[in-house]
Formats: sequence, structure tokens, C-alpha cells
Amino acid sequence: MADPIDCAMDLMRRLPPQKVEENLADLVDLAPHLADDLVASIDAPLRSQRCAKTGRDYLLSDYNRDNDSYRSPWSNEFDPPLADSSLIPPPKLRKLEIAANDAVDTYRELYFEGGVSSVYMWELEDQFAAAVMIKKVNDETSKVKGAWDSIHVFEVHEKGRSAHYKLTSTIMLYMLTSGEKLGSMNLSGSLTRQAEQDFPLDDPNAHVANIGRMVEDMEIKMRNALHEIYFGKTKDISNDLRSINSLAEAKKQAAIQAELVGRLQERHR
Amino acid sequence: MATDEERVRIASSFLLDSPPGEINDVFNDVRVLLDDDALLQRNVQSVFAQYNKEQLTVVQVPGQSHKSVIAQEGEVDGGRFLDPRSKQVFVFDHIRQEASDPEPYTETTETEAQRAALEEAGLKYLEEHYPAGVISVFDDGQASTVAIVDNKYNPNNFWNGRWRSIWKVTPGSSEVTGTVKVNVHYYEDGNVQLNATKDITVTVPTSQDNPTAHATSVYKQIAKAEGEFQTALNESYAQLSETTFKSLRRALPVTRNKIDWHAISTYKIGAELQTK
Repeated sequence: MADPIDCAMDLMRRLPPQKVEENLADLVDLAPHLADDLVASIDAPLRSQRCAKTGRDYLLSDYNRDNDSYRSPWSNEFDPPLADSSLIPPPKLRKLEIAANDAVDTYRELYFEGGVSSVYMWELEDQFAAAVMIKKVNDETSKVKGAWDSIHVFEVHEKGRSAHYKLTSTIMLYMLTSGEKLGSMNLSGSLTRQAEQDFPLDDPNAHVANIGRMVEDMEIKMRNALHEIYFGKTKDISNDLRSINSLAEAKKQAAIQAELVGRLQERHR
Repeated sequence: MATDEERVRIASSFLLDSPPGEINDVFNDVRVLLDDDALLQRNVQSVFAQYNKEQLTVVQVPGQSHKSVIAQEGEVDGGRFLDPRSKQVFVFDHIRQEASDPEPYTETTETEAQRAALEEAGLKYLEEHYPAGVISVFDDGQASTVAIVDNKYNPNNFWNGRWRSIWKVTPGSSEVTGTVKVNVHYYEDGNVQLNATKDITVTVPTSQDNPTAHATSVYKQIAKAEGEFQTALNESYAQLSETTFKSLRRALPVTRNKIDWHAISTYKIGAELQTK
């Protein structure tokens, strides 16, 4: 029998991305013993909430959740408050987390000109991990809505004067539009990519620049892929299903062209 | 733990949401996750039947060179469907999506002449605009239903697509109503889906007594309406790409340069100086 987690991942690759939260909840109901693995491995659009202490918005995810509380990257405090949590990074890592949040906040402003970003870090055995998340929603006009969610998860191994970075990135892109001539159109989904790279590590703060550079390169690459797949591939497929122009006419044109080519070849013999 | 009823509801909704050409893949996943073959066995038949009728599954008609559309309007009795073109009924296996045991169908309706004319003109329309189109025109004596499907499956390259059109033509009425649906699934290292749909009403002259002339004017309007929808869809693609996508994330910052990460803290100072 196939591995249930593999089946769940295959299923989520097929079911409508427009319903990912609903599908994930149903999947957990169907296979409750897999709940933790499912929640950890299936990405859903991010939600945000306001940090009570700093008034700044931050993103909610499994990476900053302890039971029903979420940790703000700006204040390092939980909402609803928790007396203690294993999720609070040790002081050295928290220092790095603060610097990374600042840097990614600047990156977000330069590329997204709005939205919300958060970086969370946690310790792993002889290494650490970081999740860099960005969300931007565009709903100024009622007819067209768009949303971008990036989730970049890093595993970082330090090895002497360099570090090895393993990155898994998922970008979810949702777009909805409607109109009198169009009816309704929903073009949504996600792409996932991975990258691994070594960078020199002159001082501990170099992690911020290294992680930032990898996020930037990955998002540039993935933005191109999203553009090609959303606006090229799916559009071409929809126009392969039905042809706007007359197929008979196209056939006739092709026949005329073939005949012309044939005659030209005759002449050159 | 969810009840059996709830588990069946979830499994059914997953199956009904299967992208074009992928219901067997979804079924295989659901079977492992449900982990209760007896429960699945008791319910799967009706779910597949619903899926096939909603999605206008196409089937090879036994002994014929053409395909027919599985639709609610073509269901003669439990499990048997009509191919109006060859005037046969056949047994349809919803899970295997195969037809068998064809028998002649002798019942005719008073509006058969209109149905036959819509079928003939419909086949010509298909040749003009649907590279792999299948059409069936059903008739219940009150109205004709035109069902058009075009599927393109390419699982080796991780994509599948389906176009569905349903049009209702009522004799003596100037209104022809329809729904057009397009689904595209692209799933190489991801899951991207296009769902587009439009309800349409077109007007045709009612003065036509001649079924052939009436059918011609019906398809003239259907062709116009479907073409306009498709053009609007392509225009929306362009608009989403040029405005919505760009406004979500820039290709590069305003400076047109990638970020100097060693100097990242200076960007903020720069921005603050600018706003002062």
C-alpha cells in the first residue's frame, strides 16, 4: 500500500488550490493520525495579525505557533500570552532573527511596496532553521483581486568559516476577476522550488545577507516561472481546447502555403 | 474521529473536485487515505456517476466511430445512457468510463426534427472551433440540450484541460441559454488551476419554421457568444499579467538593481531621508 503522506501530497497537488484551507481541514478529518505531518507539509495562504506591543502586523504560521498562541517577531511575545515556550529562540539566535526581520522588511518594501513580512528562527540539532514569509494582497478594486504568499524555509549548517544553506520555497499566487463579457475567472495555485548553496561566514551576521540573497534570487527565478506558467502555459492550453479562429480556415491556409512551398521547390530544381 | 458519514462526504467532495482526466489518480489517493474499502465500495458508484454527468465525460459508442457525451439529459434509466446520434442506448460503467451492450433506441419525440438539425449543424460548428470536440444533442420533447466537450490531456507533461458548453434550445422561444466552463490544471512542481465560467443568454429569431435554418441561426449566436467569452478570457489574461501580477511584486526594485545585502541597513536610512 502506498504511503498515506505521499498520497495526501499527491492529492493536494490535484485538488483546486482555491480551496486549499478547506481541503487541508478535510484531509485532517479523514486521516487524523497524520494531522501533524499534514499541517507541517501542506502550505496554505498566510494570515496576519497585529502585534499588541509594537502595533506592527506579522504573519501566522506553524513556525511561530505554540498551541493557540502566536509569537510576534517584533516583540518576541505570544498572543494570547504564554509564560514560557520552547519556541522562543536562544538570545544569540533571537539577535539574528531581529536583524533578519529588519532586512526582509526592507526587501519587502523594495519589491512589494506593501504587504507584511515575518522571519522566524529556531534551533535544530547542530544547526538552525529559518522561515522567511511575505504576504501581499491587492484588493483595491472590487473586480480584480490578487494575493501573493511566499514561504521560504531554510536549514542552515555552519561548517567553520562557511555555511551550507538548504532552501525550500513555495509561492502561492491567487488572482480572481470578473466582468460582464468575461463571466468569472480564477487563476490560482502555487509553485515549489528548492536550492542549496554555500556561502562564506565572516561573522554571524553574514547569515542575514546570505539568506536574503538566496530569497531574492529564488523569488526572481520563481516570479519568471509563475509568469510563464500562469499567463503562458495555462492560456495556451485553454486556447488549444477551443480555437477562436476557424479551424477550417486555418487548414485551408496551411494547404495553400504547402502548395506554394511545393511550387517554389519545383522551380528551384 | 469523524463519522463514516462525514468521511464519505469528504471522500466524495475530493472526487468531485478532480481536475480534468485525473479522477483515477484522485481515487487512488482517496482510497489509501480513507483506508476503508468496504465503505468506499458502498458509495463510489454514485459519486462517479455524479462526476461523469457534471463533467460531461465522453465515451466511445460501441460499434460507432464517434464519441458521445454522458449527461443527465441522456440518462435513460439507472446506468443506461442514450447516444442520440446513433439512436442507441448503452450500459455505462461509471468507474471504468466505458460503454457496452448497445441496443437500438426507438422512442422519438415530436421535436426530433429540431434535435437532428441541431446535431448536424453542431457537428459542423465543432469542426470550425473544437480540435478534439465531442457533441451530443439531447431532446426531451420540450427542449433540446446541446452538450459540447473538448478535453486535452497531457499527464506526461503535467497538464490537462477541459472546455464544456451546455446550451438549452426551446422551440418557439427566442432565448437560448447556456453555460461555458473552462478548467486547466498545470502541476509540474506545483498546482496551478484556471477556472473560468460564464452564464450566457443569446437571442435567435423565432420565425424560422425550417429546423435547418433555425439550427443555423442558433449556432451563429452560440459561435458569437463563445468567441466573445474566449476573447474576454484572453484579454483578462493580459490584464492580470500587466497590472495585477506586476502590482503584487516588482521584477526589480525602483533602482533596477538587485539588493546589496551587505548594505541592507542603509536602504532604510535612505528611505527615511527621502520621506523627510
